[in-house]
Amino acid sequence: MTKILYSDDLTACFSAWRKEGTKVLGPVQQAKTSGFGEVQDAKELDLDLVLTDRTLKELFFPRTEPMLSYSIGKQQIDTSEFLPSEHPCIIFGARPCDAAGMAIDDELFNWDYRDEYWFRRRDRSVIMTIACKESDDFCMCTSLGLAPDSAKGSDILLRPLTSGKGWQVEELTPKGSKALLPIASLLKEGTEEAAPTAEVPVLFDLEACTTWLANPENFESHFWKEISERCIGCGTCTYLCPTCHCFDIQDEGDTYEGIRRKNWDSCSFQLFTMHTSGHNPRNTQSARWRQRIMHKFNYFSDKFSVHSCTGCGRCTRECPVDMGVRETLQAISTLPK
Amino acid sequence: MSIQQQYRSRAKELLQDGSVKMVIGYGEGTTATRRRPIFITNPDDTDRLVLDAACKTNLAGYLLREGLLADQKSVAIFLSPSGVRTINILASESQLSSAQVVVLGFQIQGDTVKALEGTKASDFSPLIAKRKEKRKAQPSHEMTRKLEQMTPAERFAFWEGEFSRCIKCYACRAACPMCWCRRCVVDNNQPQWVNTSSHTLGNLEWNLVRAFHLAGRCVECGNCSEACPVNIPLHLLNRRMTEEVLTAFDHYPGADEHQEPVLASFRKDDPETFIL
Ligand code: SF4
Ligand code: SF4
Ligand code: SF4
Ligand code: SF4
Repeated sequence: MTKILYSDDLTACFSAWRKEGTKVLGPVQQAKTSGFGEVQDAKELDLDLVLTDRTLKELFFPRTEPMLSYSIGKQQIDTSEFLPSEHPCIIFGARPCDAAGMAIDDELFNWDYRDEYWFRRRDRSVIMTIACKESDDFCMCTSLGLAPDSAKGSDILLRPLTSGKGWQVEELTPKGSKALLPIASLLKEGTEEAAPTAEVPVLFDLEACTTWLANPENFESHFWKEISERCIGCGTCTYLCPTCHCFDIQDEGDTYEGIRRKNWDSCSFQLFTMHTSGHNPRNTQSARWRQRIMHKFNYFSDKFSVHSCTGCGRCTRECPVDMGVRETLQAISTLPK
Repeated sequence: MSIQQQYRSRAKELLQDGSVKMVIGYGEGTTATRRRPIFITNPDDTDRLVLDAACKTNLAGYLLREGLLADQKSVAIFLSPSGVRTINILASESQLSSAQVVVLGFQIQGDTVKALEGTKASDFSPLIAKRKEKRKAQPSHEMTRKLEQMTPAERFAFWEGEFSRCIKCYACRAACPMCWCRRCVVDNNQPQWVNTSSHTLGNLEWNLVRAFHLAGRCVECGNCSEACPVNIPLHLLNRRMTEEVLTAFDHYPGADEHQEPVLASFRKDDPETFIL
C-alpha cells in the first residue's frame, strides 16, 4: 500500500495548506512564458509541461532583491537590513532536475558563510516534485547521473499514476512529512501503479569529459574557440540555469541615501570580469564559455564533490544560437584525453 | 540544382579562389528543425552549409566580431533582405566597409527559400526600395493598432506587464546587430544612467532606452524577440518605431549605405509638429 493523492483533491489540499497560512506555488503559464507562480486552484497549474521555461531558483534567488537601505547623515550612518520573510510555502509540481539544482546550490550558499537570503527561503519551503513521464529532445538528467525520478533536493516525490488520476506520494524529509499533516485526510491508501518514467538517453560520457577538463593542457586548447565561436554572450543560458548563481551587488540611490541590491549576473558577459584598469582576464567569448563549463564540471565539482549541472537542458533549449552544455560535453567526450 | 546545393558551390568557389577568407552561414542544429550559425574557412567544409526556411537568424552582427574585418579581407555571409539592410546601416555608421562583404542573398517565403541576385549590398538596393513601398502600403499590424487605440494609461499598463517579466539578461542587445556599442549606456556606472536591477523601473528604463536607440535603425529582423528568454514582444516596439520614421521622415532603415541616420540628421522639410 502506498499513499495516493488524487488530482481531484488537489484544490482541497491547496485550501487546507492555505488555511495553515502556507502559500502554494506551482508551474503556471505567465504570458507566453512558464514559471512558478502562486496558485489558489489546481486548475491554474500547467502540469503537462515537460519543464517550465523559468527555473525554481527564482523562488530562492530572485533576479533582483534589496539587501539593505542606507542613509548617511552628518552625525551617523543608518542602515536597515531587508531579509526575506519566513512565511511557509509549498512548491507543488517541481521537476527532479530543478529540485536537484537547489540541493546543489545549498552547498555554494553555505560554503564560506551562510547566505541568509537563500536559506531563509529554502528553510520555509517544501518542494513537492513530480517525476517525469515525458521528456523532450533537450533533457539530459541521465547524462548527469540523475534520473526522471531523482529525489535529490525534494521533500516529497510524487509518481504519476498510470491512470493519470493522481500520484503516489513518497515522503523524503521530515519537512515533507510535516507538510502532509494538514492534508492527511485527503491522502488515500491504495495499490494503484505508477506510470513508467520518461526514457532519457545518456548523451555523453561524463567521466571522459571531466578527465579531459581536469587536464591543464586542455585549458588553452583550440577546442574552446571552435565550440563557442557563435556564442553571442547573451547570458540566457546562465539566467535560465537552475544552478547558475552569480550575482552582483549594486547600490541604487546616491551617496547619502539608497538601497543596496543583489542582482543576477553572468559569466557570459564581457563586463563580468572587466577590471577598472580596462584589463579583462576573460577577454574573449570563448574564455567566458570555457569558464562556464570549467566552473560547472571542474571547479565546483572539486570543491563540493558534485557538478553544478542537473541536465535540465535549458541552456541548449533556450540558446538563440543553438549552443549549450550538451553540445560541448558531447564534443569533449569524443576528444583524446 | 537545389538552392542549397547552388549556394554551397558558390561558397566553395569563393573560398577556393581566395575571394573570401570565411563564409558565415547556417548549419544543422541540435534538432531537425533548428539551425545554427557556422563559420567556414575550409572549402571542403562547405557541404555543412544548410539553407532552408528555418534559417531565420540575422547573421550580420558576426561581421563586427573584433578583428574579423581588420585585415581588409572579405567575408561571405548568408543574408536575407533585412540582413542586407543591416549591412547598409553598419556601413553608414562606419562599423564596417561593405566592400569587404560578399552577400549570399536569400529570401524566405513561407516554407521555401528563394535565391536573390547580387553579391554586393548595393546590388540589392532596387529590391529594398520595393520593400520600402510595400512596407509603406502595409496596414498597421493588428496588435500595433490595438495598442494605438488604448489610452495612455492602458498602454502603460500593457508594457508594464510585459516588462515585468524582463530578467535583464540583455539577450536582446546581444542578439541585435545594431547594438554594436562597445560600452552600452546601461553598463555605464559613473554615473549610473539606467538602473541595473530588473525591477519595474529598471526594466522600463532599459527597454525604452533600447527602443529609442533603435528608432530608424531597426530592420525588423526579429533577432531580439527571438532571443528574449521570457518572450517579451519587443517587435511591437520596433514595428511602431519603423512606422513612425517611415511616415514622419520617409525613412526606411538600411535603404542604402549612404543613408543618414534619421535621429542624427536634419532636413529643412522635417516635420516639426511636436516643437512648440
Ligand atoms: S551559449 Fe547561447 S545562451 Fe549562452 S551566452 Fe552564448 S549565445 Fe547566449
Ligand atoms: S548547465 Fe544547462 S543543462 Fe546544466 S543545469 Fe544549467 S541550464 Fe540545465
Ligand atoms: S532591434 Fe531587434 S528586430 Fe531590430 S534590428 Fe535589432 S535585433 Fe533586429
Ligand atoms: S532579452 Fe528580454 S529579458 Fe533579456 S533584457 Fe531583453 S527584454 Fe529583458
